[in-house]
Amino acid sequence: MRRTARLLTGTALAVATAGLATAPAHGGGVPAAARLRGAPAAAGTGSLQVSPATAVPGGRITVNTTECGARGTAIADAGSVGAGTFMLAPGTNEGEAVGEFRVPTGAQPGTYEIVAKCAEGDRQVTGDLVVALSTARMGAAHEQVRPRGSVKTGVGGALGTDPVQTAAGVAALAVAAAGGTWLLHRRARGDGI
Amino acid sequence: MRRVGDTAIAAVTVVALGSGTWLLAAPDATHTPPQPAAAEGRPDPGEERLGAGALAPSPPTRIRIPSIRVNAPLTGLGLTPAGSLDVPPAGNKNLAGWYEAGTTPGETGTAIVAGHVDNAEGPAVFYDLGALKRGAAIEIDRRNGGVAVFTVDAVEVYPASAFPDDKVYGAAPRPELRVITCGGGYSKATGYQGNVVVFAHLTGSR
Repeated sequence: MRRTARLLTGTALAVATAGLATAPAHGGGVPAAARLRGAPAAAGTGSLQVSPATAVPGGRITVNTTECGARGTAIADAGSVGAGTFMLAPGTNEGEAVGEFRVPTGAQPGTYEIVAKCAEGDRQVTGDLVVALSTARMGAAHEQVRPRGSVKTGVGGALGTDPVQTAAGVAALAVAAAGGTWLLHRRARGDGI
Repeated sequence: MRRVGDTAIAAVTVVALGSGTWLLAAPDATHTPPQPAAAEGRPDPGEERLGAGALAPSPPTRIRIPSIRVNAPLTGLGLTPAGSLDVPPAGNKNLAGWYEAGTTPGETGTAIVAGHVDNAEGPAVFYDLGALKRGAAIEIDRRNGGVAVFTVDAVEVYPASAFPDDKVYGAAPRPELRVITCGGGYSKATGYQGNVVVFAHLTGSR
């Protein structure tokens, strides 16, 4: 009996150990491995290149990776910054998958992780995007886009008859009506004017 | 005696009829948004109040201009396809916007706020902007809980046909603010012919 129990415990421990050892090959361990192999990313983490690595809300971002094979495609997720998912397709450079998205205009400043999953296999790569509210701190390479020209901030809906003037006019006509009525009464009674 | 009274009533009736008709039918019976006087333009040399140090960037949430009773939330604005500043939704008459790809109010540079002077229903958030005076305070609530306080340097009107982009949107070496609305005359064919632009710089925070 005791022997059986020991055997069972030993088997369970062995299975658990094996599970721990193989887990990194499927789960969170892959980005780490990919990071070692991949080209240095602009933001310094992951092997998904994000360019520009720092952008303002509304900016267009290109991401690419060489981790998905020669004709590899991938599904990328920029949901962290509110941009949803988009596709990476083989680009002009050999063995590279490229995709694009736009930073939502309502994005808050911060660092966001962009994740791409290769279509074949379960390899996953990540890269960082920094959203800044101003390009002032981004260096001369990124000139801040400024608005041009006048702004359409009115339709003329406030232009109309002045309510005070309208009220005065209505009051004056009311006085005239009262006076006229009174005079007509007098005439009807034959008093004459 | 009665005859005199009747004559007076008849006279009052005639005058009231005439003035009432004139008040209701007068062609110039319109009121337009206030426009800045020339005196609200360039400040005298040395008159400008000393600026305050720049604040860390934090998005603005609300604008308050006590002297013209403005107190409105701020929404983010982008650019139109033509490159001009977009405007807040016209349906909400107490809503202004800020150019969120630009400088946040309080940090070094030129922050831009815009709002409607009117919408189809009538006056809107910045109807009285043209009546703002030099030296008036503009307060911007910031998401980090702070308040940036700006002082008005000038209030100008520019025609859309000759809008001074650099002066209005150009970079500044200190924390500045522009508040923009429509103005400069109105015609049925073209709408408002320009913009009222308020120039202000940071003078405090709390």
